[in-house]
Amino acid sequence: MDAATLTYDTLRFGEFEDFPETSEPVWILGKEYNALTERDEILSDVTSRLWFTYRKNFPPIGGTGPTSDTGWGCMLRCGQMILGEALVCRHVGRDWRWARGQKQREEYISILNAFIDKKDSYYSIHQIAQMGVGEGKPIGQWYGPNTVAQVLKKLAVFDTWSRLVVHVAMDNTVVIEEIKRLCMPWLDAAGACGGEGELNGCLEGACALAEEETALWKPLVLLIPLRLGLSDINEAYIETLKQCFMLPQSLGVIGGKPNSAHYFIGYVGEELIYLDPHTTQPAVDPCEDGQVPDETYHCQHPPCRMHICELDPSIAAGFFCRTEDEFDDWCMRVRRLSCNRGGLPMFELVDSQPSHMVSVDALNLTPDFSDSDRLERFFDSEDEEFEILSL
Amino acid sequence: MPPFDKTQVQSKPFKQRKSFATRKQEVAGIRSKFPNKIPVIIERYAREKYLPPLDKTKFLVPHELTMTQFVTIIRNRMSLLPSQAFYLLINGGGMASMSLTMAQVYRDHQDQDGFLYMTYASQEMFGG
Repeated sequence: MDAATLTYDTLRFGEFEDFPETSEPVWILGKEYNALTERDEILSDVTSRLWFTYRKNFPPIGGTGPTSDTGWGCMLRCGQMILGEALVCRHVGRDWRWARGQKQREEYISILNAFIDKKDSYYSIHQIAQMGVGEGKPIGQWYGPNTVAQVLKKLAVFDTWSRLVVHVAMDNTVVIEEIKRLCMPWLDAAGACGGEGELNGCLEGACALAEEETALWKPLVLLIPLRLGLSDINEAYIETLKQCFMLPQSLGVIGGKPNSAHYFIGYVGEELIYLDPHTTQPAVDPCEDGQVPDETYHCQHPPCRMHICELDPSIAAGFFCRTEDEFDDWCMRVRRLSCNRGGLPMFELVDSQPSHMVSVDALNLTPDFSDSDRLERFFDSEDEEFEILSL
Repeated sequence: MPPFDKTQVQSKPFKQRKSFATRKQEVAGIRSKFPNKIPVIIERYAREKYLPPLDKTKFLVPHELTMTQFVTIIRNRMSLLPSQAFYLLINGGGMASMSLTMAQVYRDHQDQDGFLYMTYASQEMFGG
């Protein structure tokens, strides 16, 4: 590195603390590093993640809307980062590394193009902001982790290149059967065909339609929105949150400090490691030769860190399972974790949807009137009555 | 005219509206009358901005009701979409595990006054 560059980088990134020298393990998206001996590897891994920040001077959203997302788009950018990581895993692999100025692979260019700030990119700020209107969020409004997860789920349907299943697990519960059905929809179609002979026919049809690698399983992006406390994170969740980053399927966590969204990619000791979208950069246009000027899409300074206790309790954890085996492995690991007594599970993994969830109307859980009558006599002088629920 | 909304008036948490002795007495009374039901207090998180208030705070629920069923009832009461975030935090701390029955949750988390306290909240939004 020449002197001029060094000065420039020092000026620009002087405010960022160096990565700590510690013997504690560093976990980045399912990979373990030694902070003393693998410093370069850590920084190279972090720099290789896609870094989406506020941008200015992009084409107006919806034709007449904002041309910058500064001040409102940070959770949308975090959504782009967690999905960007899924696309990296899907198309170039978790071990792919970025290097400044290297010739760009075709798949990598396609990933960047999916996020470029223009209206027709699959997951552009334009698409996310406009799809959010259907979630009750007018353009320019703040999102929560669940909002952006729901929007990404809808947008992924149009991404015929990646053929992802984006599943958002609600009520802090992951239902295995539901996911298998989404990732292998032809099994349902085959079941509907009836006879075994037809089943084979349907499976062959599915194989013929799909790309060979997604023929048996559509790659899964699992997003789990959670609330780990009311105003502060409940300390009982801290260990389980750390364990999320240790799973090989980890896509990290989107969340933040109160009001400011961050994309958390790992932890060291009691600190979370994150990419911060709160830097406004000019919007980028692809070059004529198809290459994308990509330096501003990679965070080249040491990553930010914050104490876990500063985390706002509203988060969404993400995981990527390219194959059914990877999903089965994830389930096995999550089960093993919940058997350990080291903290409160952040979500529950169940085999199948409890039958009463299927049809809520079938539940006769209206107030029990015979009970109500007795109650009224019992509490006729009370200020508020109990509402009685009966099975 | 819209019905009189009690929740607007009773903004103070249940525990602050009634003394420990009153609450304990209330539980004893209701438990003797309905031994097969669990007394539950459900309140909206004070800083909740997106979920509507519930018209009731006090519920008597069957022992064998699962948390999934209970959450489904509350979600329906509020007419929430399945994609809307809704969390029930027990004693304001941890999310309820959906496969547990009310009896199991009550056994582990009942208050000293005999009620089971839950707070509901959605998610915070991020911008700035």
